[in-house]
Amino acid sequence: MKRLYLLLGLLLLVLLLLPLVLDKYALGIFVMIFFYAYLGQSWNVLTGFTGHISLGHALYVGIGAYVSTFLAQKFGLSPWLGMLAGGVLATLVALSLGFLGFRFGLRGVYFVILTISCAEIARLVVSHIDAVGSFSGIFLDFKPGLANFQFRGNLPYYYISLGFMVLGSLAVHLLARSRTGRLMVAIREDEQAALALGVNTFKYSMTTIGISAFMTSLAGTFYANYVYYLSPNSMFGMGLSIDLILRPIIGGLGTVLGPIIGSFVLTPLSEVSRAYFAKGGLEGMHLVLYGVLAILVVLFMRQGILVYIKRALKPLLKLED
Amino acid sequence: MNLALALQLLIQGILLGGIYGLTAVGLSLIFGVMGVINFAHGQMMVIGMYISYWILVLVGLDPYLSLPLAAGAIFILGYVIQSTVVNRILDFPEAMQVLPLVAMGLILENLALLFWGPDHRSPSTALGLATFTLGTATVDVSRLIAFSLAIAFTVALFLFLKKSAIGKRIRAAADNRLGAQLVGIKVNRINNIAFGLGAATTGAAGALLLPLMPVSPHLGHDFTTTAFVVVILGGMGNLLGALVGGLILGVTESLATLLLPATLKQVVSFGLLVVIMLIRPQGLFGGRR
Amino acid sequence: MGQKKSEGKEVSRRAFLKTCGAAGLGAMAISFGVPTLLKAQPKPIKIGSIQPATGPLAVIGQGQRRGNQMAVDFINAKGGIKSLGGAKLELVLGDSETKSEVGRSEADRLIKEGAVVLVGAFESGTGMAVATLAEQRGLPFLVDVATLDDITQKGYKYTFRIFPTSTAFAQRGTDFIKEIMAAKKLSPKRAVVTYVGDAFGKTQGGFFIKHFKAANTGIEIVEEISYPLGIPDLSGEVAKIKAAKPDLLFPICRPGDSMILTRELYKQRVELLGIISPGSPGWYEPSVVRDLDKLALYVMDNVPWINPASPVYQEANKLFEQKYKAYLDTNTGWAYTGVLVIADALERAASIDPDKIVAAFKATNFKDHPMVGDAVQFAPNGDNKNATTAMVQVLPEADPLKRVKVVLPQKFAQAKLVFPAPQLWDRG
Repeated sequence: MKRLYLLLGLLLLVLLLLPLVLDKYALGIFVMIFFYAYLGQSWNVLTGFTGHISLGHALYVGIGAYVSTFLAQKFGLSPWLGMLAGGVLATLVALSLGFLGFRFGLRGVYFVILTISCAEIARLVVSHIDAVGSFSGIFLDFKPGLANFQFRGNLPYYYISLGFMVLGSLAVHLLARSRTGRLMVAIREDEQAALALGVNTFKYSMTTIGISAFMTSLAGTFYANYVYYLSPNSMFGMGLSIDLILRPIIGGLGTVLGPIIGSFVLTPLSEVSRAYFAKGGLEGMHLVLYGVLAILVVLFMRQGILVYIKRALKPLLKLED
Repeated sequence: MNLALALQLLIQGILLGGIYGLTAVGLSLIFGVMGVINFAHGQMMVIGMYISYWILVLVGLDPYLSLPLAAGAIFILGYVIQSTVVNRILDFPEAMQVLPLVAMGLILENLALLFWGPDHRSPSTALGLATFTLGTATVDVSRLIAFSLAIAFTVALFLFLKKSAIGKRIRAAADNRLGAQLVGIKVNRINNIAFGLGAATTGAAGALLLPLMPVSPHLGHDFTTTAFVVVILGGMGNLLGALVGGLILGVTESLATLLLPATLKQVVSFGLLVVIMLIRPQGLFGGRR
Repeated sequence: MGQKKSEGKEVSRRAFLKTCGAAGLGAMAISFGVPTLLKAQPKPIKIGSIQPATGPLAVIGQGQRRGNQMAVDFINAKGGIKSLGGAKLELVLGDSETKSEVGRSEADRLIKEGAVVLVGAFESGTGMAVATLAEQRGLPFLVDVATLDDITQKGYKYTFRIFPTSTAFAQRGTDFIKEIMAAKKLSPKRAVVTYVGDAFGKTQGGFFIKHFKAANTGIEIVEEISYPLGIPDLSGEVAKIKAAKPDLLFPICRPGDSMILTRELYKQRVELLGIISPGSPGWYEPSVVRDLDKLALYVMDNVPWINPASPVYQEANKLFEQKYKAYLDTNTGWAYTGVLVIADALERAASIDPDKIVAAFKATNFKDHPMVGDAVQFAPNGDNKNATTAMVQVLPEADPLKRVKVVLPQKFAQAKLVFPAPQLWDRG
């Protein structure tokens, strides 16, 4: 295990120094890698560890993005603080959603539907609130400065998103090793058995969905101040909900490194396929390729890429399992 | 309250509901047998639309006549998807099953973009504009045909599963995959057929919709979501439930026009969905859990 | 991809230095670059085009690419940028997939590939994301099509727009409607506005309604109907329109829903004096005119259309027809114009230094464009001062490619407008 940590530390060091040799476009790709790894990690907390599948996580991204941006535009509040406000609201929303889902014992596909429905309802309602631009969305002002969470170059975004990814993963790692984390996994493996053993599955499910939503919403604030445009369809839509779960699935569900590895594979894949195949006359080709590759990865690496990497590195790292 | 308008909306809602039902029946069948959600369902329907569009433009055959061809082609598409991809992911964790089918939808959508280009295509068809009046209300003939055929197909599919030898095997495989295997049923092949049948209904729906709306590569997306809602309303895996679920959704959405802008209509359907799920998670008419 | 990479490396490194460095650094790079450029064939100047080539707006995005590309070919055929030694233009393509963050990432990639100017983005959200990026990188961005006012109201120095804003659309649309009613001595009382529920529809619809209500036209807007983008069925909405008993319908559509709307109006026999769009796609595209055939006739649309008398238009349109079996319309026309305006700025800047290009943009006075309206001139906020619209109408003509005609203003008119229009079901 020690060697694994050493390797991870080394990789982190590489990532910290990497900007020295990267241009802005490459930095941008890494920002997206970190961003989606972090989002995947946040979703992974809920679905990977407890097995409650959420297909509506865009809801929390949207809340995070809209709340911090609204507060910044209306009251001049720094997005760093607005981010926390968004986090609190997202947590409250998630807790009420979780209350419905867990109290009524919705599992599997029914929980999926509940999450989709809530996200869609939020999208439609936000589309009709004029204070946040309704359908038109919010066009952010560009005022570079640390306090405003806005920068000229990609470098600050690189380090912020890297920080998000590393700290988020660290938090999930600590959580997974704690008593709560082990109980979460017990819920995933067999909720009835856990219940029979006297585990308060409701409480742990609620804790997890709260943490997951809080983490997810922070990414929303980052997105807002990176892209400078928010619309209900892009922030609350099903497209984002699906996008953000693909990486942990490919990397390895319920593992801390899974979302990161998944993002390192999938994000450049979509970027590269677009860069080389999105040429005139072949519009759509890159998305076909992306889809085919994604299917192949799942078919041939059913437990996620992480397992295979671990297997390959086993002799080097003296891993046990 | 404007009574004539309400009546008009009610008729339209019922007719629309039949079509919703037909798009959802296949989804329900696939879920009932395999336990997977076909996220590429709407996109398959769009391919069905393109096929009948092609036949109409190249040969001049009306969509209602080319319907068997569209359904047959999508049956083959479904069969191939099941045998190459879905059979391999059946025992994966639920969350893992999402990705391949989402990716399949992306592939189909963009293949359509590559083959047919991005244009919205809406050729005029023989009955495309035909209507008749019923009291104060107008009834759209192509919608009425779609509605009637939707019911006929659903009932036929239901009887097929109940009575025919293959249908019985499909049900056996759905109830207990291992058991079916033990008594010598080739489960993979049965699954292929089941997925193909589910796909064929959505292909048929595509042909029926061609006279009603322009086809474009991106159209499928929303139909997957709608079909999804309908299936939950009626009960996952319950075919007749899907039809009734479609009717409920069609009528609710249509009547909601009286009170809400169309952009908020879906709030009603999703709200309805949540409430029904909390009260009767097995759907209104029971289904697989 | 191989040859692109080996050849692009040098350029991109240089362009990269220029874009991020101070003006002095950029100037130095050029002074080193120019002598070598003059000797051999000068290196092509790259223009980055970011359009929604896939996703729900693909139909428009791909047209935009064609418009951009045809103008590039046109400039190159005329000998490229003469002040830069006859350097050819090269269009590098980005696909926003109709997503803002993808548009941003694509813009960064195109800059890396050596683009010195960006053009795009049709969809206003992507336009905003790219405009902010252009500001961050200090690289000029020309909005060829995108209507939302906000894009040019952030005080950005590097963003220019040749397309009219939603405000301009609303004013012109209202004026045209007044003019038509006065000319035909009609005084309709009731109108319904429909708009598609996305950023464009909401803004275009909202501004029009506000402006129209304030304009004292004597026409009351009795119903406002919005519906989601990509809706498959409008029967309920049309039933509502019918119940409102309007004389006029003012629809703001996207391609696709316009066809559903028109057929449904036919089926439910909604009697109207006519359909007049305050400015939206969905009425003038070749595919709509072809598929709706008689039902598409007599619809009017208030759009920044091509100028039929312009020789630039005539030449471009001939090529466009040959190549794509379609005509230049609002969007493709402005996409074409966008690249012409860029070439004009490059010619005057005689440099690919971003700040010199920006200075050239500011001094733009570009007359030889194919669209209605006077010369392209930029206001301090970057909007085209002279961007304006025309009223076009789809009129009977054997060749579907010739049916869309300018009817107002008189100065550009190709045909007399027909109003009121015969009912949809009375057209034989």
